[in-house]
Amino acid sequence: MSKYLDFDIEKLHELLVKKEITPVMLVEEALERIKEKEELNAFITINPNAIEEAKNLGEVEEDNLYFGIPIAIKDNIITKDLRTTCASKILENFIPIYDASIITKIKEAHMIIIGKTNMDEFAMGSTSRTSYFKAPHNPHDPSRIAGGSSGGSAACVAASLVPFALGSDTGGSIRQPASYTGIVGMKPTYGRVSRYGLVAFASSLDQIGPMTRTVKDNAQILNLISFHDPKDLTSSNKEKEDFTRLLGKDVTGMKIAIPNYFVSDIVNSEIKDAIYDLISFLKQKGVVVDFIDMKYLDKAVYLYQIIAMGEASSNLARFDGVRYGYRCENPTSVNDMYERTRGEGFGSEVKRRIMVGSYLLSGKNAKLYYNKALSIRDDMKKEFDKVLKDYDFILGPTTTTVAYHLDEGLDDPMKSFMDDVLVIPVNMAGLPGLNIPLGKNKENMPFGLHIIGNYFEEAKMYQLASFIERNFHHE
Amino acid sequence: MSKYEVTIGIEVHVELKTKSKLFSDSAVSFGLNTNCGVNVIDLGYPGTLPTVNKEVVRQGVKAAHILHCNITKEMHFDRKNYFYPDNSKNYQITQNETPIGTNGYVEIEVDGEKKKIFLEEMHIEEDTCKSAHRGTVSLLDFNRSGVPLIEIVTKPCIKSSKEAMAYLEKLKELLFYADISDCKMEEGSMRCDANVSLSNSDELGVKCEIKNIGSIHNVGLSIEKEIERQKELLEKGEKIREETRRFDDKLGTTVLMRVKETGNDYRYFPEPDIPFVRLDDTFISDAIKEIPLLPDELRKKYQQVGLSHQQIEKIIANRPLSNYFNLLLDQKTNHVLAANLLLGDIAAYLNKHNKELQDTKLDQDRLIEVVAKLDEGVISNRNFKEILVDLLETSTSIDEILKSKNITNVTDEATILNIINKVLENNHDSVKDYKAGKDRALKYLMGQFMKETKGSVNPKLANDLLIQELDKLELKDE
Repeated sequence: MSKYLDFDIEKLHELLVKKEITPVMLVEEALERIKEKEELNAFITINPNAIEEAKNLGEVEEDNLYFGIPIAIKDNIITKDLRTTCASKILENFIPIYDASIITKIKEAHMIIIGKTNMDEFAMGSTSRTSYFKAPHNPHDPSRIAGGSSGGSAACVAASLVPFALGSDTGGSIRQPASYTGIVGMKPTYGRVSRYGLVAFASSLDQIGPMTRTVKDNAQILNLISFHDPKDLTSSNKEKEDFTRLLGKDVTGMKIAIPNYFVSDIVNSEIKDAIYDLISFLKQKGVVVDFIDMKYLDKAVYLYQIIAMGEASSNLARFDGVRYGYRCENPTSVNDMYERTRGEGFGSEVKRRIMVGSYLLSGKNAKLYYNKALSIRDDMKKEFDKVLKDYDFILGPTTTTVAYHLDEGLDDPMKSFMDDVLVIPVNMAGLPGLNIPLGKNKENMPFGLHIIGNYFEEAKMYQLASFIERNFHHE
Repeated sequence: MSKYEVTIGIEVHVELKTKSKLFSDSAVSFGLNTNCGVNVIDLGYPGTLPTVNKEVVRQGVKAAHILHCNITKEMHFDRKNYFYPDNSKNYQITQNETPIGTNGYVEIEVDGEKKKIFLEEMHIEEDTCKSAHRGTVSLLDFNRSGVPLIEIVTKPCIKSSKEAMAYLEKLKELLFYADISDCKMEEGSMRCDANVSLSNSDELGVKCEIKNIGSIHNVGLSIEKEIERQKELLEKGEKIREETRRFDDKLGTTVLMRVKETGNDYRYFPEPDIPFVRLDDTFISDAIKEIPLLPDELRKKYQQVGLSHQQIEKIIANRPLSNYFNLLLDQKTNHVLAANLLLGDIAAYLNKHNKELQDTKLDQDRLIEVVAKLDEGVISNRNFKEILVDLLETSTSIDEILKSKNITNVTDEATILNIINKVLENNHDSVKDYKAGKDRALKYLMGQFMKETKGSVNPKLANDLLIQELDKLELKDE
């Protein structure tokens, strides 16, 4: 079997231009790899026209880095004519009639969508085990979770089935699985990437981002998918920039804050050791590192639960069997149709969150919980602003542990939130957060470093990340 | 009878006149084929997001201004969550916390007394789709889904059905003239709910809401009936339940739809897909500048050029006519005569052919010319009737039309006198009758004169000259 998909995007492009390989070869290789690693269950749907589309591409475009490059898409991003399920029974047979704005961009760049990746149902979970299509497995140890909710994309990239994938991150869903599978995952600044065509979980938190093996690949995919989209009013109209422009530049003099909470007892000691190891390495390289106290970090999970579930209860109301998706058999009345369609169509975690969310917004609760959460969220944002005025980055581990076993913690609904305890604050503040591999534990399971940057400073984050990627090796 | 105090509050929904929908760019158009004015956003497809149609906000600002509301400069939208098949997302995007307008009023006049009807607030929201029920199936037409609405809510300060009707007439006139809405109740572009309560103490009574009343007339009627119904219950010592009712045209009474349960729970929260909308002063003042002259200002102007009350109301009732007439206001012309023509022969013609003035060739210049000719006696009313069709339907100049109809400009007194004398000579008997004091004779002679001239002489001038000549004859005889 060929090994082209082990190369980065630049190398692939070079080979395509030299005509040493063709897009069809890349698609075929991806399909072979997916088949060979079928037990990873990384995909829900394979694009049946991928080879055909690659064949029809025509002459390679020399100045188009993305031409003919395969990519995998999380299954909550709408793809015209290609089944989009959100890993839910309620959308099991849903074939969209339009493309998400970023999918239009990807198609215009002549990338080839290989398929739609597995995930937690409607992105609700941290292990991808709530998927109607069963959980994806971790390529480093198939008896373990790949994390979630973008677990399929993470498994796919970590196993190099398709080296580039898109995920979505509402409360850590890109960074946490990236940490568990040892890849690079960016949740960009809220508003950086258009949400038009991302099936909403919690609108004020959701953000699409790239999942790749290397920092540079990641920056290059972000280059493609970040643009101002008039169809999304929360999309920022920042000028186009090149996220690779600072790669390789010196990091001396950068200032980094480590919140004490991020190295507290909640974090596994092996992971903590790696963080301390990194800190001394960075200090050696002329980077300033300070430990600081930050307010609200330990409250983020609770705020997240209120805001995310409240919004989700409303966002998921549209799945009612009227216009698209699953409808129960022989409804006897409108209410019967609603009840059975949603009762049968949604999985239990989704139903739990819709119920809790509805309760949180009911009557006086809206003021008591939701509005209060929004106001504490503002305070939290201010706290981050304060720290990021003095520091370039906030660093910490992405996860408190490594990926655990597929049968672990199934009866604890709080566990899935606590898996994301270190990454959720970033969504609350709308800041960009990046996971890069930091090291492996004794069991040879990977864990990641979490880099939090200031608003719209993704390029600078890639600069630091790339420096660490190249120069730091935790033993 | 009058021991109960009646309190009425009215909620009105009007569809705004915009090219596209509130949160998507699909076209708004009445009469499109079913489900042909929709896109994925209107259908609430997964992943779609709303955008805000600026034109709607502009119209909202205009409405808030003419309804004397405070304009909310920093506003956001909210989600109102409820399940119903006509609601494509199962939430409606509306403004719960920051309505675009607050604390306004509309001035009405009932039985010669002026009164302000105070408005609680007015807000922007999206319309639902239309549903039709056919036996065991329900059909949905999403063309209306996402059409922009403003909802205008009065304070509970209306005291009678008359006031309610006067308020609605006034509101309709204002919104229609400001070009904000068609306000066609029969097409659903204006919809009305009335809340009615009775009380014989200082406290407000329990209110019942009459939903979706189809015409202003029926609003009056249904309020009357509802007052009667509640009064009867109270007289019997029964309690009023909080109910939603509808007006049944055929029964001529309100009918129970459902008993209201304790506080509907719409789980409102700020719409996270739409950031705060901030209106700057220029945007507001530009929107206000777009507002044309409103009926009360027009009434004053029409009065100034001498129109009668009846003429004024007739013109106001017909906005295309009013728009047309407004362009005459600053022109030198006989406005009363122009109004007579417009409301008389011209209106009759337009009605018959189902046309608007603007569809004809009779522009303001042409009308002014023809009014001048009538005013100066160059042509007669009868001439006018003769040339009316050509005047409206062709671009031929008035002089040429007159020529082609053989209507000579008989202004020359000598010519007229010649004809008069010829008529007098040929009708000795009538002259004698006239001299004998018989009025009929004058009419007859005038008729003969008109026949001779085919009506091409100004009748007043002719009449004067005829009497003058008859009187002369009398002198000669003596």
